[in-house]
Amino acid sequence: MITIELNGNKQEIPPGSSVSDLLALIGSIGKNTAVLLNEKIVRPENRSTAFLQEGDRVEVLIFAGGG
Amino acid sequence: MIALPEWLSCTKESAGLASMLSSGPAYDLESLAAESRAITLRRFGRTMTLYAPLYLSNHCPSGCAYCGFASDRSSKRRRLEADEIERELLSMKKLGVTDVLLLTGERTGVAGFDYLRKSVETASKHMQRVSVEAFPMSVEEYRALAGCGCTGVTIYQETYDLRRYEELHRWGPKKDFFHRLETPARALEGGIKTVGLGVLLGLADPLEDALMLYRHVRHLQRTCWRAGFSVSFPRMRPQAGGYTPPFSVGDHLLARMIFAFRIALPDTDLVLSTRESPAFRDGMAGLGITRMSIASRTTVGGYGDDADNAEQGQFEVFDDRTAGEFCNALRARNIEPVFKNWEPAYNGPSSVNPVRELQPEQRECR
Amino acid sequence: MDLLPLGSYTFSSRLILGTGKFSDTRTMLDAVRASGAELVTVALRRFNREQMEDDLFGPLSEIGGITLMPNTSGASSAAEAVRAAHIARELSGSPFVKVEIHPNPQHLMPDPIETFEASKILASEGFIVMPYISADPVLAKRLEEVGCASVMPLGSAIGSGQGLKTSGMLDLIIRESTVPVIVDAGLRSPGEAAAAMEMGCAAVLVNSAIAAAGDPVAMAGAFSLGVVAGRRAFTAGLMPKSGHAVATSPLTSFLGKEP
Repeated sequence: MITIELNGNKQEIPPGSSVSDLLALIGSIGKNTAVLLNEKIVRPENRSTAFLQEGDRVEVLIFAGGG
Repeated sequence: MIALPEWLSCTKESAGLASMLSSGPAYDLESLAAESRAITLRRFGRTMTLYAPLYLSNHCPSGCAYCGFASDRSSKRRRLEADEIERELLSMKKLGVTDVLLLTGERTGVAGFDYLRKSVETASKHMQRVSVEAFPMSVEEYRALAGCGCTGVTIYQETYDLRRYEELHRWGPKKDFFHRLETPARALEGGIKTVGLGVLLGLADPLEDALMLYRHVRHLQRTCWRAGFSVSFPRMRPQAGGYTPPFSVGDHLLARMIFAFRIALPDTDLVLSTRESPAFRDGMAGLGITRMSIASRTTVGGYGDDADNAEQGQFEVFDDRTAGEFCNALRARNIEPVFKNWEPAYNGPSSVNPVRELQPEQRECR
Repeated sequence: MDLLPLGSYTFSSRLILGTGKFSDTRTMLDAVRASGAELVTVALRRFNREQMEDDLFGPLSEIGGITLMPNTSGASSAAEAVRAAHIARELSGSPFVKVEIHPNPQHLMPDPIETFEASKILASEGFIVMPYISADPVLAKRLEEVGCASVMPLGSAIGSGQGLKTSGMLDLIIRESTVPVIVDAGLRSPGEAAAAMEMGCAAVLVNSAIAAAGDPVAMAGAFSLGVVAGRRAFTAGLMPKSGHAVATSPLTSFLGKEP
């Protein structure tokens, strides 16, 4: 397993996981999310080919209520 | 004929002013005066800023039907030379004047931009504040004037009635209504700090002209929001050349206009010149007017000891009291005469006043 | 048609709704429907497995006729706000962004300097920029100059329900502005929304007053009516107000009798 940082917390994932794999793992598939990999936006069409490395920082964001 | 821009024709903008100008039961003159006085006192205190005009030249290529200096008038033509300007300024200073408005006719070879620029340079050596009422210039020319210490530009549209404008400006550069209309914005873009607008009351329907003038000011206040503004209410006076205006504006209507403008433009300087009678000027001091000319000569070079008082000026001065007499009259009404608003150190060109084209979503008439 | 122009968009509703502070998503969605709002604000949040229902993109899209306006709340600097705007555009596909930068989490007052910087950048990038600001007339003009589609001054502090405390400044901003002025924050009642519209505001943005009302859905409908009433009053033209200034002795006697 490798360790990445997901939304500020440590998360263990199998080596060779893509962003899509991570989203499936945390149950956000089917949700409308924006993904940042090390501060850079990863668009939906690139998520299955964006592979994660040890220590990567990932943010998964959604729209919530706000004024 | 080109249509007027929307900001000038949009009557909704001036609806409030229009109702104050119409002498219905909603606004009697006395209530308007009371409100105007209260606003003036709050915003300007008990002060009156004073200036005097200096006619540099009466050479003019334009054929304005109403003007004593039109090119077909028999007035003797002359321009002041640098040493004469200096002498005039010193004479004015002796009278207590330190805020001067330099005037010329439309642009000529004799009195063109370079002449005006040099005159501004001379004047800013002696005066706390120098402004000009001359011909429309380019942004670059205004920038050069601002660099020489000119802080104000007065440019009246005379009338906003396009058809009357065409008729009255029989020939010459002043015929171009729209070029003149855009002049205040150019001056401000060039770094001039304050522009003075006005109409010559009597040339066309005075109420219509007043409303258009108001809309012009409001447009400029929104688009050149760093600038200062003043509005004048010159009534036609007997001119050399004997032009009889088609509309006459009585004291009551003029007073109503001044009160209504004060209420509609609470922060704007309102100006009254020596065309008006001493009684009218004294009466309006404190009620809405915040800036007045004094001890005025409307001939070229009228301040020196050797001035030829028989010469015909651009218009006839009504209030011919001396600066001292007039200041005493103000003090008697508990108003302080003020010749200086700012240290001349601040008289450099204004910081950027970018003039923007309004985008489609930016509409003033909402 | 009396449409509200914002950038290249136009809206027939002049009530903009915030989606925060509702007890649950369903009530929020019902309130949006009842309000008739066409522009709705949302905030970016980290995805959390335990709070799946937080994802509002899907449910709001289902209402139809709704344009999302993501805000940059959470940002405390221009750089953070610009980044949030980029991410939000990715997610929403909407060019709207409400620039909201409040460095102090207690009073939530907007930072004028960071807001100006972020707005300048985002406007140059083609966003329809809607900055949330204090009721500052100079800042409003500066934001207009850098290409903001609107300015959104506060009526009073966010969520305070103190109404139009800044009305004097709002008057000035409305008077001098060439872009639509939208009162954002502080309103408590539909009457205050109507008052803002009567002053000449182009729209109002309401959130807490609806979310925290006894019956949020009913209150959303009430605000909708208040905004419409105020706007109609404004376009109809209110009767002039008398200054009530009375002189003790006549001021205009020097004019003599009117001929």
